[in-house]
Amino acid sequence: MPKAKIETIVAAGKQALEAVADAAGLAVWETTYLGRKSELNEVLKGLKDLSPEEKRTVGPAAHEAKQALMASYTAAALRIERESVDWEREWIDVTAPGERQPAGHLHPITILEHEIADIFASLGFTVEDGPELDTEHNNFDSLNFPKDHPARDMQDTFWVKSEKRWQHTYIPRTHTSTVQVRYMQEHKPPVRIIVPGRIFRNEATDASHEHTFHQFECLMVDEPGKVTVATFKYVAETFFSRFFGKKVDIRLRPSFFPFTEPSFEFDISCIICEAKGCSVCKGTGWLEIGGAGMVNQKVFEAVGYKRGAYQGFAWGFGLTRLAMMKYKIADIRLLMSGDLRFLKQF
Amino acid sequence: MKYSYHWLKELSGTKKPAERVADLLMRHAFEVEGVESYPHGLDGVLTGWVLSVVPHPNADRLRVAQVELGKNDVRQIVCGAPNLAEGQKVVVVLPGASLPGGIEIRATEIRGVQSNGMICSEKELGIGDGHTGILVLPDEAPIGSEFAKLVGLSDTILDVKILADRGSDALSYEGLAREIAALDGHAPQFAETKAKPFKIPSYNRAPKVQIADKKACRRYVGLLFKDVEVGESPLWLKTKLLVSGLRPINNIVDITNYLMLRTGQPLHAFDADTLSGGVHIRMAKKGEKLELLSGEKKSLSTDDLVIADAKHPLALAGIMGGRHSGVTAETKDIFLEIANFDGATLRRTRIRHGLATDASYRFERNLDPNLPIEVAREAAELIRELARGKLAGARDEYPEKRKEWKIELALSRVEGVLGVKVPIFEVVQYLALQGLAVRKQNGKDALLVTIPTRRPDLRDEWDLIEEIGRMRGYDKVSPVAPLLPLVAVPGNPVKHFERNTKERLAHAGFTEIMTYSFYGVRDVEAFGLEEAGHVELANPLNPDQTHLRRSLVPSLLRKVKENLRHTDTFRIFEWESVFEKSKKLEVREAKMLVIASVSRDGGVREFARLKGSLENLLESLHIRGAEFVPHAAPESGDEWHRVQSADILVGGRKLGTIGTLMPFIMKNFGIASGMAVAVLDTEALRSSVETETVFRPLPRFPFAVRDISLVFEKKVESGSVVRRMLEAGAPLLQSALLFDVFEKEGKRSLAFHLSFGADERTLTSDEMDAAFERIVSEVERELGGRLNR
Repeated sequence: MPKAKIETIVAAGKQALEAVADAAGLAVWETTYLGRKSELNEVLKGLKDLSPEEKRTVGPAAHEAKQALMASYTAAALRIERESVDWEREWIDVTAPGERQPAGHLHPITILEHEIADIFASLGFTVEDGPELDTEHNNFDSLNFPKDHPARDMQDTFWVKSEKRWQHTYIPRTHTSTVQVRYMQEHKPPVRIIVPGRIFRNEATDASHEHTFHQFECLMVDEPGKVTVATFKYVAETFFSRFFGKKVDIRLRPSFFPFTEPSFEFDISCIICEAKGCSVCKGTGWLEIGGAGMVNQKVFEAVGYKRGAYQGFAWGFGLTRLAMMKYKIADIRLLMSGDLRFLKQF
Repeated sequence: MKYSYHWLKELSGTKKPAERVADLLMRHAFEVEGVESYPHGLDGVLTGWVLSVVPHPNADRLRVAQVELGKNDVRQIVCGAPNLAEGQKVVVVLPGASLPGGIEIRATEIRGVQSNGMICSEKELGIGDGHTGILVLPDEAPIGSEFAKLVGLSDTILDVKILADRGSDALSYEGLAREIAALDGHAPQFAETKAKPFKIPSYNRAPKVQIADKKACRRYVGLLFKDVEVGESPLWLKTKLLVSGLRPINNIVDITNYLMLRTGQPLHAFDADTLSGGVHIRMAKKGEKLELLSGEKKSLSTDDLVIADAKHPLALAGIMGGRHSGVTAETKDIFLEIANFDGATLRRTRIRHGLATDASYRFERNLDPNLPIEVAREAAELIRELARGKLAGARDEYPEKRKEWKIELALSRVEGVLGVKVPIFEVVQYLALQGLAVRKQNGKDALLVTIPTRRPDLRDEWDLIEEIGRMRGYDKVSPVAPLLPLVAVPGNPVKHFERNTKERLAHAGFTEIMTYSFYGVRDVEAFGLEEAGHVELANPLNPDQTHLRRSLVPSLLRKVKENLRHTDTFRIFEWESVFEKSKKLEVREAKMLVIASVSRDGGVREFARLKGSLENLLESLHIRGAEFVPHAAPESGDEWHRVQSADILVGGRKLGTIGTLMPFIMKNFGIASGMAVAVLDTEALRSSVETETVFRPLPRFPFAVRDISLVFEKKVESGSVVRRMLEAGAPLLQSALLFDVFEKEGKRSLAFHLSFGADERTLTSDEMDAAFERIVSEVERELGGRLNR
């Protein structure tokens, strides 16, 4: 039995397979080329009658031929399977809009609050909270805003109508610094907290002013010499660089706040123009961000710490302002508008 | 305060241009809010020399002048001013230029005579009221110079925000010049204390001064001037006022304003002839009234400090004088007050009467009581020079002399606060430049610093460290990472829960809104709330923001209405405080969560949608076993729909309420769409969270599910049916799940999937049949339901 014949069978089989178009044809082909009565099977069955030399050459060739035809069969079966689907009927419009569960969105202020909390968490700060309606004492007196002092004019204040029997005067807090006092009354240093929250100022609303907005407070207190102006610069620089995802420089300018001494205004290098000067920073290369300072010893005294026993910094900045900068929101009123067309963008 | 750069330069001796001075102040002292040219509006206005004046050929009142403006530059100008004369130096506007009022000057023919410009009066130049004739300059004035430059109106104005604690010294030219000089590294160009002591005339005719309230008035200096000539101020004085943003009025008022600008000390001039008897500084008496210079009539309070004579209040001390005692053109004798008042007292009066003046602004910041006598000397000189007033007497009541004080500054503290080592010589230098006397403490690493009385802001070591820090510049402090023990920080569970819940709500399709904490009576009424119990603002911005809200829902409804204009279907939430008056706490604040589901066509189905979301939320927060019990409305009713709302209970504790709102509320807020709302107390929610999760083994034997369909003759709540079935089917019945509801002709059919199973074996059908029968008979007996076969 010559090897040539086997090759002919394989060639014929493969050629015939190409013409097979459906499952029925494939079954016929299988019987013809791989079935019990197929030519190749005849060859395999006849192997036992061959001489040992012939067996050595024809045997492997016949087995190989069977493998080859079977492989071709499997491939053809797959091909036919694919082609037998009615693709026309199966067609769907994949470009049509998906059936969506409505997506919800956190408010941009909340998104930033979480982002900021995460950065500060990595520096060892926790998030604290306090009431929005607080006493005049916590909002002003214990923060060293004396009664009848011009420092009180720095913040336009809403006042609550008092009842005669009340012992306190209440105000919607004008800053989150109220929580400094509340927290330190309950805790001894080390203190490392941040306080995001809603605050209130009695000023008319327009595109850049709101009577209700959000602030962020950061307070770090430890023993004298451990938390310094240099520490503040480090924490502030680290925070802003992480927040904006690029190197941000801090500039401190002298200022006055009753509850800090020394006090600063702090600016960050303009994140839009890389401090080259642009319309956002009005050509100065710096953006005014907030106020800060070393906690006034009078505040420590007010919460029951011994004068000079501790030292730390406090800083606050507008979360609302940061949101407006980050998302390029031109009108502050959108934040409190509850308008879904606005909120769904975040 | 607005400062003239030229004047600051003159007093400080700085050589730096305005922009550099502004930058220096910005970095080391005060925020500079603007650096701008003074808008004098006098470009192209020149000085000229009147060569000749001849009568106008065709007009009696006009004359024709030849005015030289430069070499070979002689202009013919027609002028009507009576005081025009040959040889005068005058101010000329040429054709093409314009005057401060916006009048443009053109070359023109006046009654047949060519006129090439205009000779100006003070009024036309915008520098005074003198309109009786043209402004005549001194003979030595140059010809052809820019007028504005010549008189000092060509200036740069620095708008400097003086910090609240520096009002005592820096709200003045001398104070800011002192600061600039210090930053520049030298002493200022004016003498700090005047060489000549102030001399009180031997025959002292000044009225006697009596201070009744020595806390409210720390010092009172009063000078009496006789035969004063009230009139126009000289040009230099007017110019100084103009560039500082004040209008010249008359020489007396101008002198007081000038000295206030220069020294920071407000002064007030009374017409001495209107005073009867001595001068009393006292609190106003009940019922006293005062007509102010502004014409306003004020009823005084017994907390208002007044200057009074024997009979009447003459002035609100340190704030505004009275009309009756004011200086007029006819005034002959003047009583000049240079006093020091308590800031807090004046501040209360200023707020009470709504009267903010330049003087009150300064006094509120507590001025130096040692300043008045220095100012008195200059005032006497100026009034003599400019108004020919003769000093006829003086009083100086100073009950308690304020002395300078000392602060010991430990050098280690400087480094401890700033975080950077500052060499001692630098420390000494900065403090000395600020005008403080510094002495090294023997044997101690400390300095003894003497503080002049003009700096009440410097009270302790930290105040001095601020002076050192800012003088040196905070740029020179490099950021340093703190070296501190790694202390595990306790998280705040409340904030953590808030964040977790908000995130889950957002994932569940709710969008977070933020709305104002205030609402108005309109909302209170539309929502059917009582106004009583609300915390109310004393000074609201507008009628819609008068009360602190007791419920988050009214603001939510407004936002729902607004959003329905452009969005049909949405879900929103807000997590915020509500407030109310409380018997025990005075005011009570609680953080509430309101969630809402809205759709234009959802109708009452929104309830089920919202309830499903809420059940999912509770499950994901690990709040188990919540029961929804039909809402128990109070007698008087509330916002919740009578038969479409349920209280949410966990272990008997109420977490909140879910439902639709009373139809009248929906009408009041103009919402026609389907809407369900849930209001939850976030603290009740948080304390219902299961903190420990314990694994329960998976069932080893399969559960068998049988369906049951029950018919009721009346409206029976599926919740109570389930409860009955679970009781009757125990312990084999594991759960009962409502899957179909059908209502017809007053009958209500409910169909449930019942799951039977046991932990230790597969149930036999006999067991299940028995349990099923128990369930059917229980439901029939207790609720009147029949099996629907």
